[in-house]
Amino acid sequence: MAESRIKALTIAAWIALLLSGVVFVAVGLISPAAEAVPWLLDVILWSFVITGTAFITVPAPSGSRLSLGIGAAVAASVLLHDPIALGASVTIALVASWLIQTRINVGARRSDGDYLADALAMVLYALVYSYAFELIDMSADLTPTWTVLGAVAIAGFAWFSLRAVVAAFVGLERSDLAGRYLWLLALQDWAVVLSMLAAGALFGLAWEVMGLWAVAVAILPYAFAHTAFERYSSTRVTYGQTIKALAQIPEVAGLAPRGHSTRTSDVAVAIAQEMGLSPSAVTELEYAALMHDVGRITLNEPAILRAGFTDEDIARWGAQIIAEAPYLQTVSELVRLQHRPYRSPGVEFDPEIPMTSKIIKVASAYDQAQIEQRLSPVESLERIHQGSAYEFDPRVAASLRRVLVFRGVIAH
Amino acid sequence: MFPNELARQHRAKVRMAIAFPIVGVAVLGALFFVQDFPRPLWLWTLFAAAFVFLEWKAVEVNDKLFASPGVMVIMTAAVVFGPESAVLGCAAMAALSPFQPEDIRGRRWFQPAVNFGQLIVTASLSIGVVSLILSLTDAASIPWIAVASAIGAVTYGIVNYRLVAFIVSRVYGHKDVAPWSHVTQIVVPFVGMGFLGGLLGATYLLLGTAAIPLIAIVFFTGYLAFESYARLRQAQLSTLAGFIKALEAKDLYTRGHTERVAYFSNMIGEEMGFNGNRLETVRWSALIHDVGKLAVPRDLIRKKTRLTKEEYEEMQGHVHHVEDLLNEVEFLRPMVEIASNHHAHFDGGGYHGTNGNRGEPPSLEARILAVADSFDAMTSTRSYRVALTQDYSFKELRRYGGTQFDPEVVEAFIAALTAAGEQYGSPVEITEQEARRRAEAGLGQEHALDAMRTRRRADEGTEAAHG
Repeated sequence: MAESRIKALTIAAWIALLLSGVVFVAVGLISPAAEAVPWLLDVILWSFVITGTAFITVPAPSGSRLSLGIGAAVAASVLLHDPIALGASVTIALVASWLIQTRINVGARRSDGDYLADALAMVLYALVYSYAFELIDMSADLTPTWTVLGAVAIAGFAWFSLRAVVAAFVGLERSDLAGRYLWLLALQDWAVVLSMLAAGALFGLAWEVMGLWAVAVAILPYAFAHTAFERYSSTRVTYGQTIKALAQIPEVAGLAPRGHSTRTSDVAVAIAQEMGLSPSAVTELEYAALMHDVGRITLNEPAILRAGFTDEDIARWGAQIIAEAPYLQTVSELVRLQHRPYRSPGVEFDPEIPMTSKIIKVASAYDQAQIEQRLSPVESLERIHQGSAYEFDPRVAASLRRVLVFRGVIAH
Repeated sequence: MFPNELARQHRAKVRMAIAFPIVGVAVLGALFFVQDFPRPLWLWTLFAAAFVFLEWKAVEVNDKLFASPGVMVIMTAAVVFGPESAVLGCAAMAALSPFQPEDIRGRRWFQPAVNFGQLIVTASLSIGVVSLILSLTDAASIPWIAVASAIGAVTYGIVNYRLVAFIVSRVYGHKDVAPWSHVTQIVVPFVGMGFLGGLLGATYLLLGTAAIPLIAIVFFTGYLAFESYARLRQAQLSTLAGFIKALEAKDLYTRGHTERVAYFSNMIGEEMGFNGNRLETVRWSALIHDVGKLAVPRDLIRKKTRLTKEEYEEMQGHVHHVEDLLNEVEFLRPMVEIASNHHAHFDGGGYHGTNGNRGEPPSLEARILAVADSFDAMTSTRSYRVALTQDYSFKELRRYGGTQFDPEVVEAFIAALTAAGEQYGSPVEITEQEARRRAEAGLGQEHALDAMRTRRRADEGTEAAHG
């Protein structure tokens, strides 16, 4: 993991939090405009609310868990009308939830990187919200509700962007993950972020006009969305497991080498991430790599064994089987193409063959060289390089080398 | 399906497709005289677009329970438009929704025409109820708004359900009308959606236009998440089913076996009053009940003579390996357990799989699967015997009721299949000895094709009944 960068970020975040906390509380207490006692009560109340909700987390499509604390912070920003109180509440809540998480081990499911990304981004939200509100209020003639909405939108956007940047920064410590991949991964969470922002703003605005009914108006729809996100992420996991299980049937039947599909998909996914493919392409690639040899189940049929078969037949049969699932059309196409050379003599570049299927070809050949010909990893990689005139795309081969170096399988 | 029955259905359809739109237009016309059209127009357009979109994309949660958030939108609209224009505004929204692009592209006229009238009546009645309650009580109080729209939503659900049931019973006869027990499944979500819809409408009244984007975002992100969840779930089912189908297709003898067993198991489950998740579990178990055999070499499966001990163990070894694989997928575990017990007998004999105990009857789900599997085995041609007739198979199921099969399950199956009017197995009388002799004489392939033709005719009959 990205130990040193997380450490650096941790120190930076602590300093930022402590400084802003001291400044906010001090300014709030000495400011003559605010009555100190109700002000302090507000801050304490919202610190509690944000701290509590920070432990409600939702699995986002990127695989990280987002904290509902941001929703509470948005509600606080709408209801407090006071940048200093908002900043103080957010800061206190972040310090408190951090202490609880690291000391008492509550909500330990979130990684440090996730937590830090949220913390820094939330402080940014509080700052931007206050400035944006003032700016819109002064420059445009809008109703208070629209002004609030505009400020939430601007601050929410800033929050989301900073969060993605921090996530990419932390992830980049692993030299085998491309920045583009990490950035796109973080952007996938937009729907979760949007629903949290909107629920928080709706709660704040509705609270002012309808009191406790706001709980039903804002929380019920959010709870629905929250359940849906939870279910989506757990179904995604079981879907992957189902495909993995189905892909192993030929191996169990003794028609393909044991573990080949899992190892191929492992290496293929690592290459794709290193090359900076989009997360959705990586998922497709993962499924296709798992199932690239599924056509071998056909070899169960003695008549086919007698008649003989080629690699292309295996790929075609596999693609036909996968094509029965309407959701897996692209995966089926990848499986059909994965045995093809990346270019043919005289052709510099074959546009029909996507990068993903070239990656599967390399990953599969790398594993085969080790299993069937009992070569060492370095020799297997050498085989791939030797074949990179037509068979294996040299860019993929180079990426495979970097992945293997990162994993410590081969020296530089 | 007899031709005169089809002609009767067609006449009934034409009558419905004329009567319902006339009623719809009449109601809409009358409303134009008593109510104002909602203002501003863009707000109505927005609500109408949301409603139509959601009606087009009703999400299947599981099995028969459809979440149609459209009713929530219509309740929000009713509160937003106010009592002077709510009924007309909502009825006009409902009138737009039946014209779905797929129906228009496929030139289907019956459903759009009938739904046009049906939805206008449903919307006017339910929004009428909302307006009535609000005019009798306090139209500005939040609790009353919420209660009125909850009642309105339930009215919407029930009127809609009754009208559809009426149409179906007139066109297809009474047997296709779902029982009232399904209505409770409708009421609960409708109360929730109506309640929330009313509250969102009240929020708009109190906050003004700025509430619209917020409500829309909260609502649509939730909807999107739920839709992608439902799609993924569907994908998982179709991946597994498609895989098994494709793998089986390589073999003439077992082609379609899994699909039919799933169909029969579902039929028995429904007949025995299963619904929702339990019915789905039965169907999934049926889908994977033979997946282990895919890993067994074909010549072993097709052997005409008894397997030797070694061969049998080899086969079981393959089957267990696949079961272990599927057991790694957590949510498949209960289904794998059921599937692995489908050779266990009702009296505790037979082959017991995971968590099955000798001397004890297997779970009800496994008993259902056993009947469905055996019936399909008897009515299809196998390597050792050509297909038997349906009557003979029924007799066999009854004969072993109480020992191998659960007699209640057998009777439920026979009742359901008879009511559905479907026919499987050999079209001509044949005794078991004769069936075995013919397989030995190498007539199996031809017979398998014969049985397939019978099934195809049966399929066409059912398709006609549901199309």
